[in-house]
Amino acid sequence: MRAYLNIFFVIVRRDLLLAFRNKAEWTNPLLFFIIVIMLFPLAFGSDPTLLKQLTASIIWVAALLSTCLSLETIFRTDFEDGSIEQFILSRYPLLLTVNAKILAHWISAGIPLILIALVTGFVLSLSNQTMFALCTTLLLGTPILSLIGAITAALTIGLRGGMLLSLLILPLYIPVLIFSMLAIQNATVGQSITAEIYFLAGILVLALTLAPIATSVALRIRLS
Amino acid sequence: MNMPRWMHQFASLKYFYTLSRWLPRWLALACLVCFISGLYGGLILAPADYQQGDSFRIIYIHVPSAWLSLFIYMIMATAGGIGLIWRIKIAEIIARSSAPIGASFTFLALVTGAIWGKPMWGTWWVWDARLTSELILLFLYLGYIALQSAFEDRRVAAQAGAILALVGVVNIPIIHYSVEWWNTLHQGPTLTKFDKPSIHLSMLIPLLLMLLGFKTFYLATLLIRVRSEILEYECNSAWVRELIKGINNDVK
Amino acid sequence: MSIFSVKNLECIRRDKVLFQGLDFMLEDGDLLQIDGINGSGKSTLLQLCVGLIRATTGTIFWNAENIIDCRYQFQSNISYIGHADGIKADLTVQENITLMHSLSGSPAAVDYPSILKLIGVAGTEKVFVKRLSAGQRRRIGLARLFMTPAKLWLLDEPFNTLDKYGKTIIEQLIVQHCATGGMVIFAAHQLLEMADYTLQHIHLGHH
Repeated sequence: MRAYLNIFFVIVRRDLLLAFRNKAEWTNPLLFFIIVIMLFPLAFGSDPTLLKQLTASIIWVAALLSTCLSLETIFRTDFEDGSIEQFILSRYPLLLTVNAKILAHWISAGIPLILIALVTGFVLSLSNQTMFALCTTLLLGTPILSLIGAITAALTIGLRGGMLLSLLILPLYIPVLIFSMLAIQNATVGQSITAEIYFLAGILVLALTLAPIATSVALRIRLS
Repeated sequence: MNMPRWMHQFASLKYFYTLSRWLPRWLALACLVCFISGLYGGLILAPADYQQGDSFRIIYIHVPSAWLSLFIYMIMATAGGIGLIWRIKIAEIIARSSAPIGASFTFLALVTGAIWGKPMWGTWWVWDARLTSELILLFLYLGYIALQSAFEDRRVAAQAGAILALVGVVNIPIIHYSVEWWNTLHQGPTLTKFDKPSIHLSMLIPLLLMLLGFKTFYLATLLIRVRSEILEYECNSAWVRELIKGINNDVK
Repeated sequence: MSIFSVKNLECIRRDKVLFQGLDFMLEDGDLLQIDGINGSGKSTLLQLCVGLIRATTGTIFWNAENIIDCRYQFQSNISYIGHADGIKADLTVQENITLMHSLSGSPAAVDYPSILKLIGVAGTEKVFVKRLSAGQRRRIGLARLFMTPAKLWLLDEPFNTLDKYGKTIIEQLIVQHCATGGMVIFAAHQLLEMADYTLQHIHLGHH
């Protein structure tokens, strides 16, 4: 058990170190996130009441899109340099490695996303309730994005073009988007958001249980 | 994992190919009978709806195709899962061959839904919960097909597709539920279109006939696709070579 | 005493039969070379042997147990080095070796300087792998073999991109491993004379 935990953290640290060393790969999706958020006011016009209504939705859509970009890198270099082979054939379960890699992805892509979203929400002076709902939904939602995304990322590694990844993944993200948006809208008008939060938490638990298994199977298939 | 003996035999592609020889024709015949009687009953015998007039008659196409679009996805995921666990080729082939048919039915359901919506809502498209779910389902199908075509190796493609289909199956109820919830909160409870608490028997029987007709149509087209895919899979084996030689001799 | 055996192995890739009815067996101290021209299925055979890909027919046994049924027990007894070195370009040599060491599950502590010296890249601990040449990277990849407690080594073209000196080190390492009761299967497209050790051959490419 101790050895397993040890390996888990070794891999998390390795992936974080690699993300830190390869700054462009790590920051580009975040930059993209900010730019997409900025595009919407330009498209909708700068009417403050309208924008206030839309800001949280815009942040969520931008988060989905930028996650698609960051997911492309989760297994790519490991596939190219043969590290995945070594993970599959090591004495430790592949599930352990996959879980560690997903956690590392969430830390390096999900958490910065939440922080930027909070700063954006603050700057655009969202109400306290809306900020709270945005924060909670992002905290529960971004791990789901990493988990489900890992499956499709594993299925599409080594295939040219990140387009396919986005195509496969965005329909699967719809429930997360819907529940988050409902929570935020409820919060804005001062209603309870408990139901939506429970749903998101339920999806998170489901994804935590099934997604790593599906990802491991997908990796084995892709390597064969 | 081991599988029972009879499953082994059934899983043999050659056995399946010879066994299914006459099936497409019989199924096509059954389909034709169902279509003719169902359409006659639905378009001519059944009375017009007291609210919607004659435009309700599109349900004879819309409902079966919407029903099949989901049904085929389930078949695809089940067959894919069986192929993944027991490595049965025939299951992989069934899953792969179902996808384009399922996508076509989904598309048909969307188009007929839009055509029906035009006189009812005055516009081709509204974000109705069912139509939106159906649209998402179409994207799931198209994603599956896109993934299939991205691989060179058929078996890898089939297995990767199986995972995607299984993930999709877990997601479909969640998607369906979330969309429904989103829809009721946004638009208020719209009148539910195709749920008729008490549908008249003269409308119901043609509908059931059409359902049966669509199902046999699916099975017939599926078998044709599966049979030709089997030949492609086994193009190197002795029995396929024999078969092709036989056909060539017949032509001469 | 361990036995690695392959029974009636067949492999079809992209509708082409690569090999059929392949049988062989390795016991402690056995050294096996797989040779054959490019595209004859050497790498595929190795990938089948480690369980990365599944055979269309045939079974692979580790101590009379199918490797699919005893996956992790088998995997803790093998060390596989494929075409790719399995090292990260953005990590330093030392970081890479620490990582290999953790994954190998070896309880013994690792002595970097002496390993690096043995493989002829002494003093590169702090250098990023991306700054090294292809041959040096290959050597770092092969450094796994110095740390692994595994009994069976499976090496795909281990001598590729190595110079004469590197080749000698690895040859010595392989022979030494076999002499102390290990087993090695390696693929190489040309026949090699391993200094005074009996070498078994499998030749692929005829059917």
